[in-house]
Amino acid sequence: MTAARTAAQRRPVALRKIRGNHVRIVAGVSISLLFLFPIFWMVLTSFKQQVDIFTTPPTLFFTPTLATYVEYLQRADIVRRLLNTVIVAVGAGVLSIIVGAMSGYALARIKLRGAHTFGVLILLSRGVPPIALAVPMFLVARKMGLADKHITLILAYCTFLIPYVMWLMRSFFVSLPRELEESAMIDGCTRYGAFFKIIVPISMPGLLSTLIFSMILAWEELLFALVLTNRYASTIPVAIAGIAGDTVNGANWAALTAVGTITVVPVVIFALLVQKWLIQGLADGATKG
Amino acid sequence: MTQVIAGQRRRYGRLGDLLVRWSFMLPTIVLLMAVLAYPIFYTLEISFSSFDMSIFGAGEWVGWDNYETVLQDYRFWDSLRVTLIYLVIALPLQVALGFGIAFLINAEWGGRGLIRALFIIPMVVAPVVAGGIWRMILDPLWGIMNYFLGLVGLGPFDWFGDPNLAMATIIIIDTWRWTPFIVLIATAALLALPKDVFEAAKIDGANWWAMLWSVALPLLVPIIAATFVIRWLGAVKLFDIVLASTYGGPGKATSVINLFIYEEAFRSFHFAESAAMVMIVLVLTMVLTGLFLRGSRKLEESF
Repeated sequence: MTAARTAAQRRPVALRKIRGNHVRIVAGVSISLLFLFPIFWMVLTSFKQQVDIFTTPPTLFFTPTLATYVEYLQRADIVRRLLNTVIVAVGAGVLSIIVGAMSGYALARIKLRGAHTFGVLILLSRGVPPIALAVPMFLVARKMGLADKHITLILAYCTFLIPYVMWLMRSFFVSLPRELEESAMIDGCTRYGAFFKIIVPISMPGLLSTLIFSMILAWEELLFALVLTNRYASTIPVAIAGIAGDTVNGANWAALTAVGTITVVPVVIFALLVQKWLIQGLADGATKG
Repeated sequence: MTQVIAGQRRRYGRLGDLLVRWSFMLPTIVLLMAVLAYPIFYTLEISFSSFDMSIFGAGEWVGWDNYETVLQDYRFWDSLRVTLIYLVIALPLQVALGFGIAFLINAEWGGRGLIRALFIIPMVVAPVVAGGIWRMILDPLWGIMNYFLGLVGLGPFDWFGDPNLAMATIIIIDTWRWTPFIVLIATAALLALPKDVFEAAKIDGANWWAMLWSVALPLLVPIIAATFVIRWLGAVKLFDIVLASTYGGPGKATSVINLFIYEEAFRSFHFAESAAMVMIVLVLTMVLTGLFLRGSRKLEESF
């Protein structure tokens, strides 16, 4: 076989491969734009006036206005709800990252008789529908005078955040070399010392991205917020559900899209900041969880 | 390691060391006992009692009465049926779409990372916001979807008025919200596939179909199964999207079980019956989750 013939044989294959790649690139880009369109449309609508929203055909070009944002960001209930959502998301995120990382470490590294059973039970609990917890939590919270308080919502969010953090961090800790804390403990570190001084610092990227994703999950939660809060501790998703479901006054799309944009933008920024870790975490969750 | 353990034991004594080791696990156990296990046991109690409105708690013991009431309620069965239809259509659709799109966007070029990052965005849109904006997009009169479809001669569709279309609406919104999540898992999985196996298959003269069917798919099966389980865990929680878009309507056509129980408990104050429904749904989902977890482990071992 001569070299010339090999090259001639190869060329069509390479060409086909390149063309196939082009088709894939175009298809991939179009699909991702398609997926982004609803968000684009939401943000666009949030800058429209009432007259520009209800047009046939729907319009792309209009004089943008910030009126809806100004109006809603001055409303006391929206501001308080935003603040509540921040408090609850940060509180639930921080509490569950501390508690969940410790138990994730225990499952990954510490020999504990029976701990594995707990781990599996907690994993199974991820299949518990939240409505199963919302009903009794509502009753207990009312009985104990805990209704409409931030702490109640924070604890409620722990039911799904701690299992999430625990299993994600477990697979993270498993992948660390054992020698790290072994040598630290030989050098006289306590278990706590080895964990907090050695393991936590080198796991910071994983811990931070898990924390951010936990806060996003809490930020978006609706059912518990709907059931456990009323006026004082209510969160922003409750407001959106209210606006979307307001059949009395008709569709207030300006309000819906403006408040929706306010809700989504910070989350998107955070998610993009930790995207590399987020994708890694998702992949690990799927393959090792 | 034995040396380490001995060192730790000397420091704390045997019991102390045991305490230190368990102290890593205890906060999780205590917290979840309080906020997860206790509410479930409380629901169990209420499901066997009449609900006493005056003390706002479990009244007298009524045995299986609530369960009988619920099991004879055709609305309960209807909402289970609606939930099942949603699960049976949406889950395979999303997993197939997710892996398909992942294959497309994994083409090697400069913008690959950017495209992948863009798929994160729909994934972090709050489900209630997703339901709300799709309600606007699919609005029969002013929505842009009917306008687009009209351009190619389709429609107009009454997305929220027709029972079948309303179910399709829910599945469309849910698929939009969750497929990106599967795309990201699938992208990572595809990147992790061993390259040399494909090279070897190519040298052996395998065509692309054989490559996909006999080489890639067996390697991917465990990950597809795991993805399915993760998606299942999220899908049984479907609530926000329905609440913000169709609110279970028209009639009860999209009243999935979570919404139905929510309505029964917090709108009609039928707490005892709701508790019975919760227990039934809990057992159903736990059994299915256990089966799926086991099935995906089995697949992982056999491939």
